[in-house]
Amino acid sequence: MDRGAAIEIRDVFKVFVARGDRHQRRAFLALRDVSLTIPSGRFVSFVGPSGCGKSTLLNMMAGLVRPTDGEVQYKGLSVDGINTDVGYITQDDNLLPWRTLQENVEVALEFRGVPADQRRERAARYIAMVGLSGFEHHYPHELSGGMRKRTALIRTLIYEPSVVLMDEPFGPLDAQTRVILQDELLRLWEGSGKTIVFVTHDLVEAIALSDEIALFSRAPGTIKRVYQVPLGRPRDVFHIHADPGFPEFYDRLWRDLKEEIVDVVLEAT
Amino acid sequence: MDALEMATGTFGAVEERGKRLLQRVESEERAQQRIEQRNTTLGRLAFGAAMLLAWELASGRLLDQFFVSKPSHIAAALWAMLIKEALLYHLRYTVTEALVGYAIGAGAGLVLGFALARSNFVYRIVEPFIVAFYGIPRIALAPLFILWFGIGITSKIAVAAVMVFFIVFINTIAGIRSAPVQFLQVARVMGASEWDLVRKVIFPAATPFIIAALQITVPQAMIGAIVGEFISSNRGVGHLISRAAGFLDTPGLFAGIFALLVVVLLMNQGITTLGNHLMRWNPKHGTVRDVP
Repeated sequence: MDRGAAIEIRDVFKVFVARGDRHQRRAFLALRDVSLTIPSGRFVSFVGPSGCGKSTLLNMMAGLVRPTDGEVQYKGLSVDGINTDVGYITQDDNLLPWRTLQENVEVALEFRGVPADQRRERAARYIAMVGLSGFEHHYPHELSGGMRKRTALIRTLIYEPSVVLMDEPFGPLDAQTRVILQDELLRLWEGSGKTIVFVTHDLVEAIALSDEIALFSRAPGTIKRVYQVPLGRPRDVFHIHADPGFPEFYDRLWRDLKEEIVDVVLEAT
Repeated sequence: MDALEMATGTFGAVEERGKRLLQRVESEERAQQRIEQRNTTLGRLAFGAAMLLAWELASGRLLDQFFVSKPSHIAAALWAMLIKEALLYHLRYTVTEALVGYAIGAGAGLVLGFALARSNFVYRIVEPFIVAFYGIPRIALAPLFILWFGIGITSKIAVAAVMVFFIVFINTIAGIRSAPVQFLQVARVMGASEWDLVRKVIFPAATPFIIAALQITVPQAMIGAIVGEFISSNRGVGHLISRAAGFLDTPGLFAGIFALLVVVLLMNQGITTLGNHLMRWNPKHGTVRDVP
């Protein structure tokens, strides 16, 4: 397994322009001097207050957003244009509503020119892996939230990207489904050698899943600190609270995050 | 029998009961659906018959028969048209004009809509012009087309096409611009080419808009053809109707209108069937019903 850097972020600044008002285009700083190395094969989470630029940074890795200054490198090369080497999973599952579950799972392979019989065979394998066999010909609106999310997960994993970018993927799910999917994600990831970059608001989720956590300051976002999660593997996400390392680490993380949130609350009043 | 067997035995019984309930509700639901469908059909027939009967009875008693005619006379006139005036011959012209105009208008609307909506810059430039053209009552162009293309079939096709074109064109643009940006982003990262995006993401996302436009423009094409015939022609159902009006022949007038009604209904049914097929993924096509 390659232990080099999967992604290298160097002195990145991002300026956005609010285009709402035609006469007054206001620019604001979303990211300020962000540098971070994401080692290959690691599970890295981004946590931080809302609007701190976590998702923006993720979108830069996918090549959907360009840094205003600084550089994002993917496997040693500067990201320039859409990065089709990565997998990208958003908060909304973004399944194509006119395609059945199986057709949705196959879509990336279609884009990549994989022949139909291979597509079908690979899709069947991945569908079975997350327990969705029997639902292949259902349309997204006929599936539950958890099933849709599983579908979104495997339609990205199916083309075996070595880096998977996930933007609050389990945000809209109910509490139980969420934990079950966290468990499934870990099961799919462990031993795969893939790098995962995972944006979340949920500290427990970040701790339960990650090797490293990058804590963002409030906007203009910068990385305040990077933590190594002091829990072993494999993890039991259902009883993560009972892990001896959990309480202390959680408290520390929460204290540091709270500073960012409380400041905002105080400024607002 | 020990406790475990008892428990599983009971469980088996419960499961059996659940299955039976499921079957019962399903068959009840199907029966209910059949009854609903039958009642709807019967209701429609009764309503139609009642209207015709009321018309038949009111005509000559409450209303002047000269102006409103009556269904029995219209039926006779329709029959006479069919036999003596070669209604089918005229119908063929009108339907051809409407269908060819429809195909040209819809095809052009789709292609141009696609071309335009994919370029933000061009779209921004031409948008006000499109809105302005859309504001013209298109039927007012009919005399112009007759001037350009003569009194033959071409001018009617042109009128029908222009009736259809703008609606399909504008809906196509709206549909394409409604494709969620996130779909496009996710597809791009998955490795979609520009052509993949158009074919597999943008076009399907736009289908609800396009289908709606294709449905509402069917009668529009017919209006175009008929108005073209009213203004100047020597065949077609529009010509029959305007001639009947010239002879103060109300039964003949209504007979022509009925013939058109049937044709438009058939065309509508065709496009609805196509729409339902293309839109089978749409959630509105089936809903879970609560069992009381």
